Amino acid sequence: MAQSLTHGAMTLPADWRDLFALTKPRVMSLVVFTALCGLLAAPGPMHPVLAFSSILAIALGAGASGALNQWYEAGLDAKMKRTANRPLPAGRLDPQTALHFGVGLAAFSVFLMLFAANWQAAALLAVSILFYVLVYTMWLKPRTPQNIVIGGAAGAFPPLIGWVAATGTIAPLPVLLFLLIFLWTPPHFWALALFVRSDYAAAGIPMMPVVAGERATRRQILFYAIIMAAAAIAPWVLGLAGALYGWTAILLSAAFVLLSVPVGLRTAGEGDRMQPEKRLFAFSIAYLFILFGAVVADHLWPL
Amino acid sequence: MTDEPTPEPFDEAEYRRRQRSRANLMGWLLAGLAFLFFFITVARMVVPK
Repeated sequence: MAQSLTHGAMTLPADWRDLFALTKPRVMSLVVFTALCGLLAAPGPMHPVLAFSSILAIALGAGASGALNQWYEAGLDAKMKRTANRPLPAGRLDPQTALHFGVGLAAFSVFLMLFAANWQAAALLAVSILFYVLVYTMWLKPRTPQNIVIGGAAGAFPPLIGWVAATGTIAPLPVLLFLLIFLWTPPHFWALALFVRSDYAAAGIPMMPVVAGERATRRQILFYAIIMAAAAIAPWVLGLAGALYGWTAILLSAAFVLLSVPVGLRTAGEGDRMQPEKRLFAFSIAYLFILFGAVVADHLWPL
Repeated sequence: MTDEPTPEPFDEAEYRRRQRSRANLMGWLLAGLAFLFFFITVARMVVPK
């Protein structure tokens, strides 16, 4: 059993709520949703038990990535107000327990995917976990302000894995869905980074606003919002999705770009409440949920 | 990595409570996994390759 909080010879076992918090449940919800959409949008039926198990494997893989990320970044999390109360920096869990939990969960998730779906989906799941932990968390995040751009690939894997779990092959539509999340990640996280900038600066993480400055970050948000909009509409233009998806993508992407314009062009003064940035950040989450919902709706009930 | 956290004051009742809650959770999880693997096996037998 994993142990925590030594006191003399006795130890208190880690509380399960802290282990659950280690998996970043809120991030997991978006991962599960996009993976489910990838799976449901794939051609051909999948046995409900195998579909459920595949989604469970993806959720556990995402949880493992979150746990290993928190294990590695415990020191940085302690310096940021937003993350200081996580189980590791708050001292409610010891690092070794977190590491064992993360590695065990990662191995189990890949095994479950292999058993329930196919080796292609299991391999993709393993690559996505390793990419998030080794490439994003350990390598890019502490070194470059482009961390979010390349690291965004890790979060873009779920719909692709969901599709491959159902079909065993990669097709153009899930690759475009991968590209959509990949391009969505920078404006989403940089909008957040603009209003929690002091937190990132305190932790010494080279996020774009800290290193390149606010002005450059705002321009990049606008740039990525525009190419993301093009990627969102591409499945319809290329004939891979129908009109229901196409119109949803056009309307939502137009709203995304319109919300990005004030963020991209304005300059925030001292004491600014950052309302446009907060609005864009909140909308970006709804954007992804609705757009992926439209992919499935379009597949199930084409116009 | 963080500095060593200050240990909580040891509490026998809290120790027992956490141990019991984790043992219960482990039991439910293992039972759930046994069912899941059983149903996956059945599903793989009925789904054509």
